Amino acid sequence: MTGVDLSWATPGISREWVDDLLLAGSSDTVCLRFDEPVDRAALRAVVAVREAELRAAGLVAGGTVALRLPPSLAYVGYLLAAWRIGAQVSLLDHRLTRHEVDGALDRVAAQFVVEATETRGHRLRGYAEVVAAVSAREGGRPAATPHALVQFSSGSTGASKVIARTAADLAAELDRYDRLPEFPRAGERVVLLASIVHVLGLVGGLLNALHANAELVFPQRLTAEGILAAVAAADTPATVLGVPFHAELLTSSTERTPLPSLRRMVVAGELVRPTVPARFRERFGVPLGTMYGMTEIGVIATDLDGSRWPAVEPTHGMRLQVRDGELWIAMAASPYLGLQDPSRFVDGWLRTRDAAGIDGGTGLVTVLGRLDSQVSIGGLKVDLTEVEQTIAGMAAVREAVVLHDGGVRAYLSLADGASVAEVELEIGRTLAPFKRPRELVVLPVLPRTATGKVVRAAAVLAAAGENSGKG
Amino acid sequence: MAPSTPDLPSPDRDAVIALLAGFGDRDRAEVGETLDSLELTWLVAQVEQRYGVELDLTDEVFAGMGTVTGAVDTLAGALDSARGTAAGHG
Repeated sequence: MTGVDLSWATPGISREWVDDLLLAGSSDTVCLRFDEPVDRAALRAVVAVREAELRAAGLVAGGTVALRLPPSLAYVGYLLAAWRIGAQVSLLDHRLTRHEVDGALDRVAAQFVVEATETRGHRLRGYAEVVAAVSAREGGRPAATPHALVQFSSGSTGASKVIARTAADLAAELDRYDRLPEFPRAGERVVLLASIVHVLGLVGGLLNALHANAELVFPQRLTAEGILAAVAAADTPATVLGVPFHAELLTSSTERTPLPSLRRMVVAGELVRPTVPARFRERFGVPLGTMYGMTEIGVIATDLDGSRWPAVEPTHGMRLQVRDGELWIAMAASPYLGLQDPSRFVDGWLRTRDAAGIDGGTGLVTVLGRLDSQVSIGGLKVDLTEVEQTIAGMAAVREAVVLHDGGVRAYLSLADGASVAEVELEIGRTLAPFKRPRELVVLPVLPRTATGKVVRAAAVLAAAGENSGKG
Repeated sequence: MAPSTPDLPSPDRDAVIALLAGFGDRDRAEVGETLDSLELTWLVAQVEQRYGVELDLTDEVFAGMGTVTGAVDTLAGALDSARGTAAGHG
């Protein structure tokens, strides 16, 4: 298996990078399938139209643009067009609130933003039809770094982390996928359930499919039946790519039609519950593979045929170590932009904040869970500290503790005269739906230890909630 | 698609909680009143499978299903219209 030729890859992004790495290949091969198939000639045409639009707005090489679009053909078009121009692209999840978007745009100082003015598509479909508009932002600045891609991840300091990757780094991740014989390639299909705005769906799904000449299929309905129908729609081998939730959804299906084209399912983004891999294999007769990766670096380790579960094997070129129980990954440079917690990147090592063990004999890694306040909700990272600081900072709130106890739960006391409705309204304004607490438990005062610290034990807080009649 | 089941009554509170408990193999007691988007997706998928229908998932339907109580009412209406359409009465 040969890798990508990296000899030409420069830190910057360019037309050649996009054309050679992602848009090469036969014009009449279908590369994307939304409602209708999109072949490579059509995709190139879409990209050309978006490029003309971005250039007309004033975007130039070294400029900055933020995309705030739901997964759509428009999103793919603008992303590749901006990269062809040589611009730095920031990706914003379309579910973020205006408050979160404004904060992110200010931090990256994007010159232009592309947003949807009209969106069609029901809520259980993995993609949308979008009418989008490009607008210039006051105070926007050209890129200060050679990064091609900027992403945001919920952060423990209360603000989101700004994570940046170079074109060479993205090419290196595609090379790692190239070297995995079980990963989809030319003549195969990828049925994508993960969002193309986040690293798994973006690089493992979209960019890899374009690069490897596989067909990327977006199911019309993200239910078990809809996903299985997408797999059954053609004879070519299909890999389903999603998060563990999707594997659970599929194993719950009572549909018993044989699926000869299903090759495997691969999930990432959070740990898989122990009963799921065996149940999946029993139900579908093919493996449930797992991958471990991070927005900061992409895919790190895999077990695509499910034979090593719960362990994963490091991908090509990954150097890993476990220090004090925490997994550290060697990286040439820090992936973080702007002010960051300096303890996250130390002397060429990225600290993952994941607890893990490495088998000295085989080099296999077993990831055990988070060491910090981050939780994963359907594959989306949510840092409880960010949620807690946001809620505690509201005028209507005196103090707050946010825990993950079955779901995200906030225990809080209200400021004098404030109502819980005000808090709910403010949460709706400031926190994206997937970060919002499932339950607000209002207490007269939060319980404290003898030394005056707010108690963070779930059992104590839940008991206080029940005593106050609000639990 | 599973066969349509016109005689099966729409799920009551108990049935909705039982379906939600299937997500993550939880105890029924672990199912909270508020539903997050994953639970909602799970519930819609299970109901569609059990009743052999495709629900019309408008924003209103989704907004109405934020809680178990809301889901019971909203599903009754959504199932009626889905089955009405399937039977040619809609």
